[in-house]
Amino acid sequence: MEQAATVNVSGVANSRWSSPVVRSAALEIVCVTAVALLPLAKLGHNGVRLAFVTLVWVTASLGWNLIGGFAGQVSFGFAVFYGLGAYTTAIVYSQGGLNRFVAILAGALVAMAASFLIGLPTFRLKGPYFAIATIGVSETTRVVMTNLEITGGASGYRMVERGAFNQLVHFYVALTIAAMAVAVTIWIRHSKLGLALLAIREDQEAASDLGVNPFRCKLLAHAVGAALTGAAGGAFVGYAAFIYPQGVFGFDISVAILLMPIIGGVGTVWGPVVGAVVYGLVNEELFASFPQLHLLLYGSLLIIIILFEPGGVLGMVDRVVRLFRRRSSIASHS
Amino acid sequence: MSTVDFLNLLVSALLLAGVYAAMSVGMTVIYGVMKIVNLAHAGFLMLGAYFVYELYTRFHVDPLLGVLLAFPVFYCIGVALYWLMVRRLPRSDTPTLSSLLLLFGLWLVIQNLGYLVWGNADRSILTSRTFATIQIGPIIFPTVRLVVFGAAVVSLGALEFVLHKTWFGRAVRALMQNTDAGRIVGVNVDRTARVSFGVGIAFAGVAGGLLAMMYSFTPDFGGAFLLRSFVIIVLGGLESFSGVAVGAVILALVETFSILFIPSGYQSAVSFSLLVVALVVMPSGLAGLWNRRQRLT
Repeated sequence: MEQAATVNVSGVANSRWSSPVVRSAALEIVCVTAVALLPLAKLGHNGVRLAFVTLVWVTASLGWNLIGGFAGQVSFGFAVFYGLGAYTTAIVYSQGGLNRFVAILAGALVAMAASFLIGLPTFRLKGPYFAIATIGVSETTRVVMTNLEITGGASGYRMVERGAFNQLVHFYVALTIAAMAVAVTIWIRHSKLGLALLAIREDQEAASDLGVNPFRCKLLAHAVGAALTGAAGGAFVGYAAFIYPQGVFGFDISVAILLMPIIGGVGTVWGPVVGAVVYGLVNEELFASFPQLHLLLYGSLLIIIILFEPGGVLGMVDRVVRLFRRRSSIASHS
Repeated sequence: MSTVDFLNLLVSALLLAGVYAAMSVGMTVIYGVMKIVNLAHAGFLMLGAYFVYELYTRFHVDPLLGVLLAFPVFYCIGVALYWLMVRRLPRSDTPTLSSLLLLFGLWLVIQNLGYLVWGNADRSILTSRTFATIQIGPIIFPTVRLVVFGAAVVSLGALEFVLHKTWFGRAVRALMQNTDAGRIVGVNVDRTARVSFGVGIAFAGVAGGLLAMMYSFTPDFGGAFLLRSFVIIVLGGLESFSGVAVGAVILALVETFSILFIPSGYQSAVSFSLLVVALVVMPSGLAGLWNRRQRLT
């Protein structure tokens, strides 16, 4: 992780549009185009649905990564933002009669507002307070939403769809939001804010000595992450059309959102994307057949990754590449 | 509300505070020495409950004896886990991403192993004590709560004795204040951390057993108590043993008396609001307020 940071520092020093940004942006354009053409490949209804769900996960995973990966502040409660985004979008869309994107934007804004409620009391303090508070927040939100009348309480909320259901509309909405999430992540990673966040993760006191305001940076990263996750929830509800507190505010949603960046490579731009794709596919194909086991498997996976490969899939790839380079350089020297 | 009702509530709150203190003290030991937030605490509370339950239903071991047996068993589990996983974590004087995630993963594993083994049916430990009461004047004491309170106080007293009268206890308190200084004066950090982790887990197991005598439980049992433990140790300032006692009393009082005003469905919201208030008003906990006052005088 430290190596990545130093590489980037030298990159920024060169010019404003230094090569890492251009490379990431190019990679994003290629990926988005490829995914946009996916429905042409005759995936069938189920294939497109799987791609849609994976795109929603990609967005949420990138959102978590901004605060959890870049700033190193672990949140166990991102389901709060996911659920708030979903509920707000559903209500604004069905009762306000507004455009789908406006409804999703409203969802993102409500999630962002909620992020301040958690961030303001906890980010001022050094220590584990933020992580602790996020556990409480998700519990409490679920309880409150279950008892709240206007959202239908425990029995859930049905979103009223206008016009005929078209799967591809939802697919492209999710793709747009995911593409925006990747763009925002690339931008933050290579901006001054991104460097400040990495500095806070490595050593908060040293960072604040160098003129970084940890409170403001963390608050901002958390807010953007929450907004992205809220938008993910908003994209999801358009497809699902029916939501209930145990579903969108569920503990397993929080776990999933934090697991994906860890699988792919926490604190990188593309790690959360890779993690979300791996998670999306594996979760759908494998874990869905063992509903009792999936949290057990997630937990084991978390332990194994933290102990043996904290860099996730990208870290593993990096290690393999370096191993081969060293082999070839030894071979050329002898 | 009559005076008698008030006294009854007050007494039950104070009895509850004893268990709450025993439940949270394990987290304080582990956090103080290693700066690791033991998120798996909830899992060990649950395991403690089922440990006592299994001993009682299978071998008819009295739950109190079961709780006593839980201490060495969970101590060994804790030491083994330390050796297997926790010692591999990078050392830091603030909680790290990896320590939080590792123990969170451990919690998920324990909780869901619990579901695999015991299913999600409600269990409870029913003995002759469970529904008995003792009446002193107008105040009614449920026997089981008195017993649990007594056990909790005894275990806390034992911990207090160890912390203040033994070499290990002094080492623990030294590391809590300053790890580097502790190492300079000859504290074996790794060994102390290992024993502390064992003791922290052992207290979780004991507290789980005690709670199981009072409440029914499922494999999700620890979750609600995890949040309460957080509130208590944050109120106490994370690293103070006397702070834990005060935090436990405050939480127990607030919870007990809030039942009068707030529907019981919102109980977890109550403890969470208390957490937020504590963070905003006194981020360094009650111990911090106390220290500041001492420094001023």
